[in-house]
Amino acid sequence: MLRRVSFVAAGVVIVVVAMVAFVGLFMLPKPGPLAGPPTTLHLETVAAVGQALEWPRPNDPHPDWVGYLPTTTWTVPANSTIQVQIDQEDGATGLRNPFWGKVFGTEGGNMHVTFFDDKGNPQESDMTSIDPTQAAHTFAIPDLGVFVPLLGVNANAPAGSTNVITFSFKTKGPGRYRWQCFVPCAAKTIFGNGGPMSTIGYMGGTLIVT
Amino acid sequence: MAAFHIEEADRPHMVRLLIIWVILSAIGIVAVLQINYPPYDQSIQGQDQASTLKLLTALATPVFIGVVMLIIYSAIYFRRTTPELVDGPPMLGNTPVQIAWVTISAILVLFLAVVGIATLSSENVAQLVGAPGRSIGGGQTGSGTTGEENKEIHVQVIAQQWYFTYRYPDYGGVETTHLYLPVNHPVELHVTSLDIIHSFWAYQLGVKADANPGVDNIFHVTPQKTGAFQVRCSELCGLWHGHMVDSQGQVVSQSDFDTWIAQQQTDFQTIAKAVPSYAPYYFPLPLVKGS
Repeated sequence: MLRRVSFVAAGVVIVVVAMVAFVGLFMLPKPGPLAGPPTTLHLETVAAVGQALEWPRPNDPHPDWVGYLPTTTWTVPANSTIQVQIDQEDGATGLRNPFWGKVFGTEGGNMHVTFFDDKGNPQESDMTSIDPTQAAHTFAIPDLGVFVPLLGVNANAPAGSTNVITFSFKTKGPGRYRWQCFVPCAAKTIFGNGGPMSTIGYMGGTLIVT
Repeated sequence: MAAFHIEEADRPHMVRLLIIWVILSAIGIVAVLQINYPPYDQSIQGQDQASTLKLLTALATPVFIGVVMLIIYSAIYFRRTTPELVDGPPMLGNTPVQIAWVTISAILVLFLAVVGIATLSSENVAQLVGAPGRSIGGGQTGSGTTGEENKEIHVQVIAQQWYFTYRYPDYGGVETTHLYLPVNHPVELHVTSLDIIHSFWAYQLGVKADANPGVDNIFHVTPQKTGAFQVRCSELCGLWHGHMVDSQGQVVSQSDFDTWIAQQQTDFQTIAKAVPSYAPYYFPLPLVKGS
């Protein structure tokens, strides 16, 4: 009897110690690193990853899917300024929620855009918002409060034209932050949010802050 | 009818079990009454839910302790000690015991029914669930000034894959990325979705409401404590469902709320013309989009 009770008591003690250790380790705070120099993130958004101008993926299992290139997993330093350049090659699809036509969370609250007007002439401007119907994609990291609409290439722009969007934002502490596009840009899927919008490696991924 | 009879040899066990049960139940009830139950007390409705949970837990504690105690006690004292299999004495039923457990169970269930009905009839729950047909209708409303005392603030919760945004029709229909509410001020929440089914769950406020496209789901809440609260989606909604979380919800003082909403109105001006007028729900088209 005493032996069995001892086994039970030992088991209970082991389980309790394991639980306390698990919770304790989970709650131990880890300070982030000091701010480092600005980091550059150069991306390309395309209507079909198989036909990208800069980083094409012709052997992709879904070459006709929209996507961010060259990758959708980005590693950046914590507590730092990230300078982003997005070469945007896709046409406008339009936002389901026009509210996302506004720029949030960037330094200065704006972005710089080189684009083509309705006559096909190159233009550039600082913008705090765009016409929601002219959005091709968005660059959004919700947990960092960053939402940037990406202006679609004007239908009258010369063939092979690219809009270039530049902005910067600041990272917080280390962690994994999801990013996504808020334009329902996945053609032929219900609500436009299937396919590439719901597959890591195309219109969604992870920002790894170290 | 079998008489309620306890074998002489079993009486020490019965007495021992009864004493242990009474002591452990008393300790257990006192212990569970010390626990701060979710969703805590940041809103009146949340506090009601926490109180009900505490009551149910206190009532369930003696039952739980009794069952576990019997299992452990039997496993220790009545386990088979000899290698040969021996059949136990036949059990022919015990009417008094059956009457006792049916009666006690009935009393417990009926008591809980009374508590449940009383809770559902209370003013706070009636406020939480609201009444049908109380939509505030379409069009931007309000002047953007501070609401009158005790007049409900209307807030629209808009779910979309995979984020919640909020509109304040009493403040010009301004849309925001976080939910701020003034303390001690009743709020009427209008929950809807732009795409698929989501569920708005403001955990600490004790509000969970389905967010369906084409539906204006109305809930009421009265925050009573300042501080942060978490909003998350509680309906599996796709790839980033698990990340459809916002930990920056805030219950703030009326003056802080006025300052915040004024800043939001200013910021909103850059996109205001492109955002449709406030409506109970929206049907953004086309449903199937893509380049």
